[in-house]
Amino acid sequence: MPLYGSLDITQSPARLPTLANLDTEAWTLPKAEMIQLLIEVPRTTTESLLPKAMHPALPSYVALAVTKYPESPVGPFNLAVLRLGSRAGAHPRGFLLGAVASSPAAAEALRTRWGFPVEAGEVKFLRRHDRIIGTAKKDGKTILDCALVDPQPVAGNDVQYINWVTAANAPLDGQTQPMLIQVDPKYTFYKAERGKPQVSAFDAAAWHAPNVTLADPIIGTCCTVDTDLPRIRFVMDPLKPVFQGTRRIRESRADE
Amino acid sequence: MKFGLFYEISIPRPWTPEKERTVYNNCLEQVKLADELGFDHVWAVEHHFLEEYSHCSAPELFLTACAVLTKRIQVGHGIVVCVPEFNHPIKIAERTATLDLLSGGRLHVGTGRSATWTELGGFGANPDTTKKSWDEFVRCLPKMWMQETFSYQGEFWSMPERTILPKPYQKPHPPMWVAVTSPGTEIDAADRGLGSLGLSFAGFEEQEKKIKEYRRRIQSCEPVGAFVNEQVATTNFLFCHEDEKTGVEMGKKLGNTFNYLATQLISTREVYSSPSYQSLGLLPALRRAATGPDANEQQTEGMAYGDPARIIRAVKKWESLGVDCINFILNANEVVPQDQVMASLRLFAKEVMPHFAKKPGHVAAAAGE
Repeated sequence: MPLYGSLDITQSPARLPTLANLDTEAWTLPKAEMIQLLIEVPRTTTESLLPKAMHPALPSYVALAVTKYPESPVGPFNLAVLRLGSRAGAHPRGFLLGAVASSPAAAEALRTRWGFPVEAGEVKFLRRHDRIIGTAKKDGKTILDCALVDPQPVAGNDVQYINWVTAANAPLDGQTQPMLIQVDPKYTFYKAERGKPQVSAFDAAAWHAPNVTLADPIIGTCCTVDTDLPRIRFVMDPLKPVFQGTRRIRESRADE
Repeated sequence: MKFGLFYEISIPRPWTPEKERTVYNNCLEQVKLADELGFDHVWAVEHHFLEEYSHCSAPELFLTACAVLTKRIQVGHGIVVCVPEFNHPIKIAERTATLDLLSGGRLHVGTGRSATWTELGGFGANPDTTKKSWDEFVRCLPKMWMQETFSYQGEFWSMPERTILPKPYQKPHPPMWVAVTSPGTEIDAADRGLGSLGLSFAGFEEQEKKIKEYRRRIQSCEPVGAFVNEQVATTNFLFCHEDEKTGVEMGKKLGNTFNYLATQLISTREVYSSPSYQSLGLLPALRRAATGPDANEQQTEGMAYGDPARIIRAVKKWESLGVDCINFILNANEVVPQDQVMASLRLFAKEVMPHFAKKPGHVAAAAGE
């Protein structure tokens, strides 16, 4: 059967974000602009980064994304994330390895409400005539400098965003414990562009992915979307295969 | 109704030379039996890099072995990837003609363009242009087979005048098909006069719609070859057992395993935003069905597993929808022991095939084994 990840998140719970509860209220995030660059990476560099419950994507790839959220309940903020392509059971997912938010309030909320492994830093989203640039700094050091080069218009339905999985401590059955949390935003597209991914700086260790080296670019996109961060619907046992260890926390949204 | 075998050649980890060889030998043994039992086709896919799911990267070699080991069963190259980074069209014309000669005119040629990033990315192919290159290839192949000399200037390949050799055994040329997974490809098949080689496991209603549209469109087609191959084939799982419960349980295990492996594939759309891959092909249905390799949920309707009576009902339904041929997947990751696969084939031939035989008694002799 398919390969599994080898990361046991229960061995280091103190390193995980902690949620006070699983009753996170949804955020509406209108007119977000997001660059997403997909890049293949050597399989050997990612095996230890994926929880035991999940299957690796083959070939192994990461998604680098920088998003400008002009409106949110904590005000405007930018967010840079690194996700690892993977499978939760039969479903494609991006396991969130690291994130930087441009405001401490956003970082705190994302960490404690959805389990993002996020720190506050400097994140920029910049449009130029021939490229769209995303940068992230932590403690004054550049940890990401990337761009979508030569963006060309495509239709919004040409773009697929896959759902995310975070690892966090959260209370369940009367006990706060490490678990995997599905984060499944919705997207309404206003504009979509496609171009070549370019990364001029990537500090893998700063993204909690110390051995990852970016290898073969797949494609980059930049989209303007209405999106959200929804209520938590599913959590997963980090040690059991997802198809055996998934718990539904609440019913799906009315529009699903 | 015709019946065929459909091989992805799925091999479980850990891979050893002996295990790979055993699975290939199991498949050949099944094909030899199927030939004796009166099955009509054996199809083999072309897939690359698809770990466990399909180790069938050189189907022309597997099919050559099938042809040599058998007398009547038709061999289907299903499908040849018509993307220049995978296969040069001259090589496709040459090796299919050779296989047609070696099989004594028993070749069917399926065509397609690949659906996974794993494969397209692995060959450095541009997903945006695979539909166009497929279209160019399928228009060239019949001419390459039939014309004494051939020259071509195209967008994806060109050649000066040469004699492409050998020529196929079948005249004017082997029947041509296209793999149909994405919505709308059945229309591409119909418009070109190609057989519709259905590779999805859609339910009755969806298939019926597709078949109706295919039949309607093909009436006014401009065939790319010398004749119209109006045939609709669909894919199914086969496990036939005297006891319905045993048959259904093993059939579900087979189906769940296959589906779960398939859902691990990286579809092109998942990572590469392209107008050429707006659909996820067969994956959404599989993901709905494949909650896990040991899932117990009811699978898509019309599956050919259970006892003979149950399978006859399913096949009759497919027949009533206009399906001409059902190609069966017999195993996935070797979850069905070889002796049970063989017994299932024998029972199917003995108890099910006579209900659909074109010539009464055609199957009976071999099925009595």
